[in-house]
Amino acid sequence: MARFRLEGSKVLAVTLAGGGDVVKAKNGAMVAYDGEMTFKKLTGGGDGLRGMVTRRLTGEQMEVMQVKGQGTCFFADRASDISLVRLNGEKLHVEASNLLCTEGGLRTGTTFTGLRGASQGNGLFTTTVEGTGLAAVLSDGPAVLLRVSSGMPLQVDPGAYVAHQGDLRQSFQSGVNFRTVLGEGSGESFQVRFEGEGVVYVQPSERNTLGGDL
Amino acid sequence: MSGESPVHEPVVFDARTLPVNDNVNPYAFSVDLDGRWFLQKGKMIAYYGQIDFHGIGHGPLDHLIAASFHSPLHAADWVVAEGKGRLLLADRAFDVNSFDLDDGNLTVRSGNLLAFEPSLSLKQSIVPGFLTLIGTGKFIAASNGEVHFMEPPVRVDPQALVGWADCPSPCHHYDHAYLQGVLGGIRAMTGLGGASGEEHQFDFVGQGTVLIQSTEMLLAERNAGAVPDQAGVPGPG
Amino acid sequence: MPFRELSAKLVEARVAPGERLFSQRGAMVGYRGEVRFTPSIQGGQGGWMSMIGRRVANEATPLMTVEGQGTVLFGHGGHHVEVVELDGQTLCVEADRLLAFDGSLQQGTLFLGRDGGVRGMVRGQISGQGLFTTTLSGHGSAAVMAHGGIIQLPIAPGRPVHVDPQAYVAHFGDVRNKLTTALGWRELVGRGSGEAFQLELSGEGMVFVQASEEKL
Repeated sequence: MARFRLEGSKVLAVTLAGGGDVVKAKNGAMVAYDGEMTFKKLTGGGDGLRGMVTRRLTGEQMEVMQVKGQGTCFFADRASDISLVRLNGEKLHVEASNLLCTEGGLRTGTTFTGLRGASQGNGLFTTTVEGTGLAAVLSDGPAVLLRVSSGMPLQVDPGAYVAHQGDLRQSFQSGVNFRTVLGEGSGESFQVRFEGEGVVYVQPSERNTLGGDL
Repeated sequence: MSGESPVHEPVVFDARTLPVNDNVNPYAFSVDLDGRWFLQKGKMIAYYGQIDFHGIGHGPLDHLIAASFHSPLHAADWVVAEGKGRLLLADRAFDVNSFDLDDGNLTVRSGNLLAFEPSLSLKQSIVPGFLTLIGTGKFIAASNGEVHFMEPPVRVDPQALVGWADCPSPCHHYDHAYLQGVLGGIRAMTGLGGASGEEHQFDFVGQGTVLIQSTEMLLAERNAGAVPDQAGVPGPG
Repeated sequence: MPFRELSAKLVEARVAPGERLFSQRGAMVGYRGEVRFTPSIQGGQGGWMSMIGRRVANEATPLMTVEGQGTVLFGHGGHHVEVVELDGQTLCVEADRLLAFDGSLQQGTLFLGRDGGVRGMVRGQISGQGLFTTTLSGHGSAAVMAHGGIIQLPIAPGRPVHVDPQAYVAHFGDVRNKLTTALGWRELVGRGSGEAFQLELSGEGMVFVQASEEKL
């Protein structure tokens, strides 16, 4: 059973016991290890043929490696902050590039998320993680977790969105009474509106925003 | 080596539990909006409630330029958030701090200013690229690394300067001492040894506070607006 | 010791007459007092051999000498800064990660991957790895930069540590090093890439690793 521990907020230490103990991690995110480790590239990324085909179709390049061995492996990605998410059968939706590491028992796949991806310019699909175990999620700066409940919808800048959990509906809001004065840019901005019951992870950065200017 | 991985129960905020006009973490600030705030474009990351965003100077908000901006500057870089709710602000995971002015003045590099309350007025500084906030109210500024406060006399790397409060505007300071003497002469003639990169600083004297960020890496410059091209007015630099 | 950490990214150094510091050029963010900043050709001691070493190693990171009386603030590139105190040990650190250090420390150059020497240098040039590092030894302190902060991993007999060369920051102690590759790693990152190798550090000591695979 892999053991996850954060070293500070930006390095994930995963201790593997050997045998069938295995984790999946973002390709190339290993910064150090002790003991014996083997690395294997996983083709496709998602599970099974359908995952592979979906990835082929979506062009979502989620490069994943399988790490096996006995010892401690340290993962980090461009000084991003890391949040650990424990799943007990729920589903986690996460931007593929924000998924650092998942325990062996978790399944990853791809789902259609609609227009939010389009405004971000990185495809219409995000990664889903399902099962029981721990997942490590990356964010540019420490993630802020925001609850959505009935009567309390949340609007998020697409560039700040990282992940979400729960029974949430996403809708795409545009042109929120927002117009530029001097005619610069598109004159519209995009936000994602979340409704239902769940939690949204946002990062204190809007680095990826292409569509929004708000 | 085995056993449960230690996972701290994460803090989940909602519209009621988000901080009131305070930092959520060092990189995100929560504004309890009831009325209006001015925001630099692109700094809102999420919000709860009923909030509208307008371009400044557009139609019914034309008068805001006169009331709060005092100059025909960079209006296109700003939006007005209007309504009621909690608004989260951040800037590329840079450190974010709020500052309270009590009938005071503070001059800040234009690229570092994220948002301010309408009770403050924003003016162009005589120093090109800087903006001065005057009055009573709260504003929010970003910096690359924590802001460090120093009292004059102090000399500051131009790129590390975030702003200053109360003290007189800085002057330029040039340090070419190493060009003197025999070895210096050879250096000057041949260029051998290169430059230290520290030949030029901003020199602060007098009473006040100087704000320094922890790196000489600038945040993206924002247009501080044009100034009238006339005799006696320092140019935009 | 002259360095004080003011925040994760900023250190304050005191200089007094008769002492000097070296720092990366352009890394001063503010100062108080009478302080002179002079570009340094050699980066202090070490003499011609170390200069040649650095030339070969392409590690000629420009330094400046800081002298006078006052306090100086150093920070660079928004990187995290860690102050390392040396009490007779030797610290191996990549030159471009040195923000500032005591003038009393002795400088040298070391090739990582084989234990130094001419053959090591040649290998380094062929593989294009550029794994030369600067060594600092003696008594004093050094301010070291890293992207996203540093974790310290102990190296113990029979318990070597493997580090991605991109994430390697520095190490000290009685440590041997060589370039290796883990099973499957080369297939993963591609044989042609410089990342195909890992740095294996064995013996007894400590290695500093940053939270990023980005070189500074």
